[in-house]
Amino acid sequence: MQPVLKVQSLNKTFNTRAGLFKRKRVKVLKDVSFAVAPGETLAVIGETGSGKSTLARVLAGAEHADSGQILLNGEMIEDNGQQNHDCRHIRLIFQDPTRSLNPGLTIGDMLDDCLRLNTQLTKHQRDKKIVATLSRVGLLSEHYDYYPHMFSGGQLQRVALARALILDPKVVVLDEALSSLDPSVRAQTVNLLLELQRDSGLSYILITHHLSLVRHMSDKLLVLSRGRSVEYGNSESIFRAPKSKVMQKLLAV
Amino acid sequence: MQLLDIKNLTIELPTDNGVIRAVDRVSLSLKEGEVHALVGESGSGKSLIAKAIVGVLNNRWRVTADRMHWQGVDLMRLSPEKRRKLVSRDIAMIYQEPSRSLDPTAKIFEQVAESLPDSCFKGGFFSRRSERREKVKALLHKVGIRDHRRVSSSYPHELSEGVCQKVMIAMAIARSPKLLIADEPTTALETTTRAQVFRLLKSLNQLKNMSILMITHELEEIADWSHAMHVLYCGQMVEAGPTTKVFCHPYHPYTQALVKSLPDYAHGIGHKASFFALKGTIPPLQHLPIGCRLGPRCPQAQRECVVTPDQVKSHGHAYACHFPLLQEKKKCNPC
Repeated sequence: MQPVLKVQSLNKTFNTRAGLFKRKRVKVLKDVSFAVAPGETLAVIGETGSGKSTLARVLAGAEHADSGQILLNGEMIEDNGQQNHDCRHIRLIFQDPTRSLNPGLTIGDMLDDCLRLNTQLTKHQRDKKIVATLSRVGLLSEHYDYYPHMFSGGQLQRVALARALILDPKVVVLDEALSSLDPSVRAQTVNLLLELQRDSGLSYILITHHLSLVRHMSDKLLVLSRGRSVEYGNSESIFRAPKSKVMQKLLAV
Repeated sequence: MQLLDIKNLTIELPTDNGVIRAVDRVSLSLKEGEVHALVGESGSGKSLIAKAIVGVLNNRWRVTADRMHWQGVDLMRLSPEKRRKLVSRDIAMIYQEPSRSLDPTAKIFEQVAESLPDSCFKGGFFSRRSERREKVKALLHKVGIRDHRRVSSSYPHELSEGVCQKVMIAMAIARSPKLLIADEPTTALETTTRAQVFRLLKSLNQLKNMSILMITHELEEIADWSHAMHVLYCGQMVEAGPTTKVFCHPYHPYTQALVKSLPDYAHGIGHKASFFALKGTIPPLQHLPIGCRLGPRCPQAQRECVVTPDQVKSHGHAYACHFPLLQEKKKCNPC
């Protein structure tokens, strides 16, 4: 099957200050490659500073890669730092929904902005789409006029999900989106995500510390260590027989 | 002997629209050398209870309790000065979000040195300086910071969250307290550092016989090393008892939902199958339901649930539910 997202030898370096005038180049991603099929979940795990979040940002287009290619449905969307993708097909969900949503906009306005800036739909079509998306994530059409502070944490995560889904993406990147949630809310959100995946063949890239959740949700697993991919493959088989030291260490604790 | 004995602790907040009862008649008792876990979702009043024990709650909150005894001394009847003295000698607290609760304008050395009690210095005035340096170094080593020189001369923002957390623990154990209250000490940390912090707390508990009151919402992490567990929902204690009992034979529907929502303990759940989850969301404090606060979300709710259930206690396992779950034989991991 044709992978929906294919990443080939992605590299990324950051310049950091090492002294008054000196600059140091820190390699954050070294030669990372993977592929995600439609309806699949790829989990990315690793310690802090292993480049997980940078990978998420590069995929979502918030950051440019130095070299390497990102292919979406066989189409090149990033080639050696040349980006030509809009934020439509790969959407990012952030860690803390209470902080990643604009407190000054109603939910409707926020979702409308996404559509207005990225699509050619008319006002009427946009409103219809927003209501449809809200009901898809289990919210009501009345929530259109609500502000973020009027929601509880679990509902806010649904709003963040609605913002990601409204442009009908093919891939959703969850950057620690499930870690800060309470257990029962997390169970609800996981159920919702899995249901959406079953119904519409979404692909997820799940970045998290939560190993049991990774085991439950993911089909493939990518283990990063200092920007290098140290293990990549079927997640169940990696969990059964981890080969890399990093993964063994993560599983031992 | 009971170290901490709290009966019917109630924390209320008077507002214009009536009194909000954030914590409703919670009882808790802790023996010396025990690790207790206080489990609940955000907004269930876990941190409030911790702050009420230490006595750092804002004046707006009204704290009442039938008794709040610390080694036989009633904390509620002490004068604020005496209470502060007692609490600072015996109880230490680790706060949430270490990088935010450390002073951003002072170096780590100064902050740790400040938490050292005067009584731990033996030498005279002139040897204080070197003694203090030695003590700080020893403390940092104790919590697993090897590079004490770099850490003690840096500001909190220069350190990672994990190191900040360890510094917080170092400051908390500087007075070697009898009770350590850890308020979500590992939410900000990643798996390996989290394990380190737990190992550290565990060893403190075993070697120094320090009691720990662990506040968390991650059940699975404390399941295997806490002696007892108290489950809170919206400020009500729904179930309390020895950890294995609570885990394997929950009486309360909420506890059962909590246990079942964990991938490790949901038995026979297929890959990518949906978890068991209660419907609805946690009500905000302004709109708490009357009676059993789980009522609107509870699958077993009946008419009687509009009356707050009393706590029933049997064999050290207490629960507050009108219709406790029947016990069925089932396999369970931690048993």
